[in-house]
Amino acid sequence: MSEILQYIHKDGLFHRMHPGTKIFLILVIGIVTILTLDILLLCLILLAVLLLALAGKVLREVLQQMALILAMSVIFILITLITMPEGEVLGYLIPGGFLPVTTGALYAGILLTLRFAILIISFQVFVITTQPRDLVNTLEKAGVPIDYNLMFLIALRFIPTLQIEARRIHEAQLARGYAPGTGFIGRIRSVAPVMVPLVSNALSRATVLGLTIDMRGYRTRARTPLREERMNLLDRAVIVILAVILVAFLAGTILPFFGYSLVQA
Amino acid sequence: MIGLEEVSYCYPQGGKEALLGVSLSVGPGECIFITGPSGAGKTTLCMAAAGILAHEYGGKKGGRVTINGKDAKEYPSLSDISGLVGMVFDDPEAQLIFTTVEEEILSALERRGLSPADIEERLASIMEITNLSALKDRAPHALSGGQKQRVVLATTLALGTDILILDEPTAELDEHGTESIVLVLKDLKAQGKTIILTEHKFSRFRDLADRLVVMEGGRIRASGPPDQIAGEESVRRIIVPDFSGIRDFSVPPPQKGSTPVISVKGLEHYYGEVPALRGVDLEISPGEFIAIVGENGSGKTTLIKHFIGLLRPTRGTVTVDGKNAATAQVSELAHTVGLVFQNPDHMFFANTVAEEIGFGIANLGILEPENVLEGVMEKTGLSHARDLYPRWLSRGERQRLAIACVLAMQPKVIVLDEPTTGLDGRESREIMEILKQLQRDGRAIIMVTHSRQIAEECTDRIITMEGGKIVSDISRRE
Repeated sequence: MSEILQYIHKDGLFHRMHPGTKIFLILVIGIVTILTLDILLLCLILLAVLLLALAGKVLREVLQQMALILAMSVIFILITLITMPEGEVLGYLIPGGFLPVTTGALYAGILLTLRFAILIISFQVFVITTQPRDLVNTLEKAGVPIDYNLMFLIALRFIPTLQIEARRIHEAQLARGYAPGTGFIGRIRSVAPVMVPLVSNALSRATVLGLTIDMRGYRTRARTPLREERMNLLDRAVIVILAVILVAFLAGTILPFFGYSLVQA
Repeated sequence: MIGLEEVSYCYPQGGKEALLGVSLSVGPGECIFITGPSGAGKTTLCMAAAGILAHEYGGKKGGRVTINGKDAKEYPSLSDISGLVGMVFDDPEAQLIFTTVEEEILSALERRGLSPADIEERLASIMEITNLSALKDRAPHALSGGQKQRVVLATTLALGTDILILDEPTAELDEHGTESIVLVLKDLKAQGKTIILTEHKFSRFRDLADRLVVMEGGRIRASGPPDQIAGEESVRRIIVPDFSGIRDFSVPPPQKGSTPVISVKGLEHYYGEVPALRGVDLEISPGEFIAIVGENGSGKTTLIKHFIGLLRPTRGTVTVDGKNAATAQVSELAHTVGLVFQNPDHMFFANTVAEEIGFGIANLGILEPENVLEGVMEKTGLSHARDLYPRWLSRGERQRLAIACVLAMQPKVIVLDEPTTGLDGRESREIMEILKQLQRDGRAIIMVTHSRQIAEECTDRIITMEGGKIVSDISRRE
């Protein structure tokens, strides 16, 4: 069973990088990706993210997401074809003039796909190469309240536990003669007998989880961290370069919006 | 260290009082073993002693709880008590928050204002006591139940409290896991920690306990040195599970040469590259009552999952009532084999007991569903609970409901994985009585269990597994 969003212990580029640097990196990637309308730039960013994943020795894990991203792409493009028929008509999905395929809709669908692909992959690379504890420490230092940190941590921690439990519940229901069928319809039908026990069991843990957090003093006592990672020269250099890229990008995209231009016409 | 004076408590949801005038004084370095049937108030007593009731719960409270001589209510918050009292709850899963063993233990050490050198030193010593050094980078979901419980215990130790309260720390563990916890507790007792422990398995903790406290119905029924009171009839009845008269040789033994309902030949199963079953041969006839025993990882659960097609043989054959279990649909095999999983909470999703039982009846299209439903509820003693919400039933009732759900599908074979886990002696006996009745009806009963006592006192045939093989197969009738 593949584990979703779990830290993988390796010695790659990202594993050595300080968590703070990584957070800044995905923030910059995220901002640029969301603001830009340039498909070529998005393609370049996607390529860069994949190359970074390769350098970080996690490309295999990233590529496992491709099925999801492709499925998402099909859905996005279908939605934009139906809702945004703009630009030139290239053909029809249903022969006889129904559901026109237009350039505007295709452009919007591809734009959405690329944006989501980049955001999903960069977040995944970040999470699977960072020890959750370093992540929480860095966020804590950056001033994120401890409650939010714990929430994030617990969400990550319970993903594989819930995966295992979902499989056990599924088996238990199969043994009761349950045959939901396969494919999309089967999955929908299997929701109640699997999801109800899964969610009820998770909720029944909440009391003990809360008491445990309080009794260990996570929310009240100060922390004296052991083996704290410090940013090295490379981390600082990367942050400066990223900051320059971000400022340049913002200047190039936002200033023209207000009627300014960096280059005199 | 901890004092309870006439403590009474009623949960905000109402109902009966969970504690009724309980007084208990625990001195430094003492180990108190608290036992009693389910619903006796053991967990509530632990929460009172840890100051949790005083700070986190509403409800009707009476009496006084003191921790280190000071009233629990006078501490500003639960966090202030957490420097004095460490508590381990029965569900280890909910007490693991971080993603590796080391992070979990460190998270507690780092909140004590120690110097980094001190932290390193204590980390190493706690890892050693709890025997976790080899597992330090493991994620919680990759640990066994016993290992999880040891990590929780280690993290509680990392808080550095002199008082430890443990609520059924071995409820979900097998013999081996239980033993590993007993060993850790012995070490801690030698270090002078004060320990309050609730458990069902008194015999396993006998050496450890300075005082035995027996609870029933929210009151303390008996309290004293184990050697003095363990022999008293009223105490024995509660602490020693009684299965006398369950085994019944009046049921005629399966006739030699009768067609086996399950037949396993040369069964091997691999999880990827890892062998879990390495050549199992087995025949099971109608009317047999079989226990399968063995350590965790010996292949017991892997074997029984083949009976209903949840796992398929890597090599060898499994024949169930003439059907080839390697290819038949699970829903088809479910007509013959009913599998009751270890944790009943993994199956309940309906709003009422009747609906829950009806699920299997409808799935298999059983005839006369209403009669079947009534019959099954009567057999499992659940007729009174027909319209109740399954998750609100007691642990023993939930286990009986799990059996009822499977029984409703009218299988010839009933397979149960650890059906007495987390149950007290009386509840375990009720389960055995039901199974015995089902055997008399001519069904084959196959039960995976880690209780030697239940295997030896209740069943007719004991199969022992080790390393994916059957190492002994003994009939108790001969």
